[in-house]
Amino acid sequence: MADFFWNVRSPLDRALVAGPYGAQGDAGVTLTEVRNFDLVQVMARRGKADETAKAAQARFGVAAPETPKAVAAADATLIWSGPDQFLVLSKGGRYTVESLAPIFAGSASLSDQSHARALISVSGNKARAMLAKLSSIDLHPDVFTVGAGAATSMDHTSITLWRGGDRNGEAVFNLLVFATFAESLWHTMLDSAAEYGVTVSHSEDLA
Amino acid sequence: MRIVCPFCGERELGEFTYLGDAKPQRPAPDAGEDAVYDYVYLRDNIAGVMGEHWYHGGGCRTWLKVTRNTLTHEISAVEPAAGAGAGQVVK
Repeated sequence: MADFFWNVRSPLDRALVAGPYGAQGDAGVTLTEVRNFDLVQVMARRGKADETAKAAQARFGVAAPETPKAVAAADATLIWSGPDQFLVLSKGGRYTVESLAPIFAGSASLSDQSHARALISVSGNKARAMLAKLSSIDLHPDVFTVGAGAATSMDHTSITLWRGGDRNGEAVFNLLVFATFAESLWHTMLDSAAEYGVTVSHSEDLA
Repeated sequence: MRIVCPFCGERELGEFTYLGDAKPQRPAPDAGEDAVYDYVYLRDNIAGVMGEHWYHGGGCRTWLKVTRNTLTHEISAVEPAAGAGAGQVVK
């Protein structure tokens, strides 16, 4: 009998070529794919929104988002993904379906999305200009502040977008995209960013 | 045209999918063939204010009930469709 084994690899494994891309000189955009994260969808059951909120508050020490935004807990990021639902993003098996199940037992339904999404981080002084070509969300610093989020579309592809903590004084935009759409969106993002010069990489660290 | 999603805020039309008239209600199981035929196939062609179902599939994936004037595209109300945001509904 043949031996089967699964090779875990990023949906951007083929498309992502680390290094410089596009215009020469100082890169205006940094595109980083974050790999090997844990992502769990938490959806409150009918009439159980309050219970779900209490369970989340008790476990994470912060209130789960009830409006489009991302909330940083000590060891996870809670990202709004729709009414009565949010995503738990963490690293190193800190929060998995197995470990969250007892916490939300009876109040919310969980679904593992770890390998169903690609996580792309966009930064650099031209990040907003590049994203503005793809998104109709107002990303002005006064409007889309740190922690702001949106469930929206880019290039006809549903994404979950949020602003992470600033890095080196520059805004960082994170987006989760369906794994099977990641390559398509990645190429679109590269095209959009090419004129500013891009630094492409992948990372194991959450932004 | 833009729709102000009650959960996401103002979004472009491209994020939404149109279903149609929000008025037809599924008839009772014993209502008879004519009622089912009417429910499935027959639609009013309203020139004016109409309640419609729209799906915010490119955003929060919630069904919405939009009140729209089909002559002017003016939207006077947007509310979650029945069952949307069900976690808040205490029954």
